[in-house]
Amino acid sequence: SSKFHNLQDMQHTASLVTKVFIQRDYSEGTVCRFQTKFPAELDNRIERALLEQTVKTLNSYYVEAEKVGGQSYLEGCLACATAYIVFLCMETRYEKVLKKISGYIQEQNEKIYAPRGLLLTDPIERGMRVLEISVFEDRGSSGSSPSSSMSSCSTAR
Amino acid sequence: MGLFFFFFFPPPDNIHLKGTETPISSSENRFSSSLLCVCVFRCPWLAVTICPAVPPCCAVLFLFVLANFTMATFMDAGVLPVAGEDEDKEDEFRAPLYKNVDVKGVQVRMKWCASCHFYRPPRCSHCSVCDHCVEDFDHHCPWVNNCIGRRNYRYFFLFLLSLTFHMIAVFTFGLVYVLHHADDLWKLHCLITLVVISISGLFLIPVLGLTGFHLYLVSRGRTTNEQVTGKFQGGINPFSRGCCSNMEYLLHYTLLAKSLPPFLRPEVDRQMAVKIRDNGIQSLAIQNKVCLSDIKQPKNPPPPLPPKPDRGLLKSQVAVLDGAQHCVFLCLDTQLLKTSEQQGINKGPDLGSNTRESPARGSHQAGAPVSAPLQPSTVSSSLQLNSLTLSSRSLTLKHSSRNGSKSQLLSMNPDGLGSNSSPGIITTSSLLANQCSGSSNSKPSYDNLVRPSDPQFMVQRGAPPVSYHTHFMGLGTDGAVQRFLQRDSSPSIATRDIPPSGLVKRDLTSQGLQDNLRDLYPHDVSLPMSAAARYDNFSKTIMASIQERREQEERERMLRVSARSQVLYGPDVGIYDIPSRRSLPPDNIRPPGSRGPTPPAYGSREFLMSTGILGYGIRTSPLSSSSTSSLTRGPKTSSSPLQSSSSSLQSKGRPTSPAYCPPERHAQGPPSSTSTLPRLSSSAYPTPPYTSYATAKRSSLPFPSEGKESVSLGALK
Repeated sequence: SSKFHNLQDMQHTASLVTKVFIQRDYSEGTVCRFQTKFPAELDNRIERALLEQTVKTLNSYYVEAEKVGGQSYLEGCLACATAYIVFLCMETRYEKVLKKISGYIQEQNEKIYAPRGLLLTDPIERGMRVLEISVFEDRGSSGSSPSSSMSSCSTAR
Repeated sequence: MGLFFFFFFPPPDNIHLKGTETPISSSENRFSSSLLCVCVFRCPWLAVTICPAVPPCCAVLFLFVLANFTMATFMDAGVLPVAGEDEDKEDEFRAPLYKNVDVKGVQVRMKWCASCHFYRPPRCSHCSVCDHCVEDFDHHCPWVNNCIGRRNYRYFFLFLLSLTFHMIAVFTFGLVYVLHHADDLWKLHCLITLVVISISGLFLIPVLGLTGFHLYLVSRGRTTNEQVTGKFQGGINPFSRGCCSNMEYLLHYTLLAKSLPPFLRPEVDRQMAVKIRDNGIQSLAIQNKVCLSDIKQPKNPPPPLPPKPDRGLLKSQVAVLDGAQHCVFLCLDTQLLKTSEQQGINKGPDLGSNTRESPARGSHQAGAPVSAPLQPSTVSSSLQLNSLTLSSRSLTLKHSSRNGSKSQLLSMNPDGLGSNSSPGIITTSSLLANQCSGSSNSKPSYDNLVRPSDPQFMVQRGAPPVSYHTHFMGLGTDGAVQRFLQRDSSPSIATRDIPPSGLVKRDLTSQGLQDNLRDLYPHDVSLPMSAAARYDNFSKTIMASIQERREQEERERMLRVSARSQVLYGPDVGIYDIPSRRSLPPDNIRPPGSRGPTPPAYGSREFLMSTGILGYGIRTSPLSSSSTSSLTRGPKTSSSPLQSSSSSLQSKGRPTSPAYCPPERHAQGPPSSTSTLPRLSSSAYPTPPYTSYATAKRSSLPFPSEGKESVSLGALK
């Protein structure tokens, strides 16, 4: 496995090999949910359980964010009553959960993914459409030249 | 007297930027403000006569109208940012137009969005006015000059409701006032009130209608788009949760996040550029990206439109035809060379090193279809040169072309350009074909091109679509060249609106000729034009011209084919048969889940034709059978009838056409050629697995023969 010790190191020094995209799971409608199917390209980069856990946690966060009822009722009524001016001052529950999600992704990146040469991109940056995992060259296993590592990766695929 | 509220609601910035009718929103605002004025004028009387609560209620109502109007106007509807180039590298050309997904047990079709480069999520649609995909797209409202989608439907709906009530209130109270002052009817105050009543009554009718319509939609859980297109007319709507739940969801689904949209802020783009593009072009790429994203940064406040990211469909053509990305071109010899090749083909060699001229030349070329004789030396030299800078070209062009869409387009009209260039391209290809048929010298040159370019592409792309080249390796015969052409051109006709982009992307490591052909292809189609309608028009025009060309070329080829000796075909068969052997990197066995390579439908049909004509047997080469097995669509079904029918024919070792059968939905293939194909092929030919997807576009296509194809296809499937 590669020896990235922090995200900065990885982002600025490693070269991107490929990107793996985890698509949305639309089986339950348009609620934000990502597929927990493990992408084949990451087979030798990360353990299945870890990625699955990450995706499941993200899914649960999104469910929480989009949940209708309780606090969202209050927020809706308050917003209507104040002609939505309250949105200038207050952070909605949805926003709070989104922030929580990006914090979680950051943490996951630092702890789990960066050491393996991977990088999760917050789905919000892709419109919640995909979960993008950038795969950087695995310094530990291949040579230093990007072309050789890329060719090895491509042939391996 | 009441206060004189003169409320001028400044039109939002986006109105100007989007270029839609500014007066509508502002007039509506003035209207409501004038209503308010009059209302306020009458308020004292109303307060006294009817009820003291009237003025405050009216004021609150009006405020509510304004607030919802503001939110509906400025709130991002749920814009999906354009997919990055890395995302669709697998999807672009070979992927089907539609993907089915199961939503709560109901099969929903996700369509590939050619502008945004992803499969549109369910309920998502591409707004042609705003030129982006919107989640849960309802409609584009000209009155608020914004798309209405997932995030702001609530505000739009409440705006409609509140406006209805407001207008009813104004009408009612005005009427009360007038009736009360009937004897003073011709006095000024009454006259004004009468005018107001009539205006509000007049506008009340459509607003009421629209409100009622949306109430109906909400109860059924549909969007306007779905209602209008009749998606769930007969069937179950999997997105509906029941009338009451739908209402509840509507009112409380507050997906508001201030930090939301700006998907792909410029800083993010820059970082990505640094990370991904570690060739020397990156600075330019970044520069382009930044300047273009700045240009594209339309709205300041809440919902900034996501700047069209730098990716591009690798549209070198776009860059060429576009001509606006001068800074990009400067570093790209390839660009120049490709353009020059086009020019060389069309007009005679002009390998000037000024890349800036290339766009102009591109436009010239587009405008003036082929007239110059083909210059083989130019072609081969340019191709060789092309290979050197292919890698640099790829990324930068992708980057630039994307951005170059709206703001960068020169005076060229994309539609005209496209239509003009397609004949040019086809003619160019045919010229090349002639050239190639005349001498086989070009073959080796292409091979040479491939090898040097490969490593570069590997570097750039990371995972070069190796297996994609296979079908384009066969050069040196007009058939092959035609195949390239077909592949290039068919995407335009194909179901996806912008297939060439994918095509371009896919063939990064292939020969320069391919690239050139792609260049020739009117890639401006792939430009994120502001009106998606342009795509349709474009493809119509192109398809019409391409159809003609194909028919011509088919006839020519048939003549040529029949005139050829077997010997000539001998070596070429090997090419067609096992294209990957040519000089490609070894890995052409695709992973099981991936889609098969896209052989040009045209080429394979042509094979079929020529096979039938010349009596060559159809032999399934090992490679083709393996590739057939890896194909996701079912060419196998068609191969058997072909084989059985041709088994009696003597075997010249023609590859099975199904091996080249486009598993892809894109290559629509020459619909016109269907009619010219022998009955054998038209019934058994599996070509149009993709044409079934073309049915969606059929309305815009002038090809009546497609119907047959899709029918036969359905049988095949």
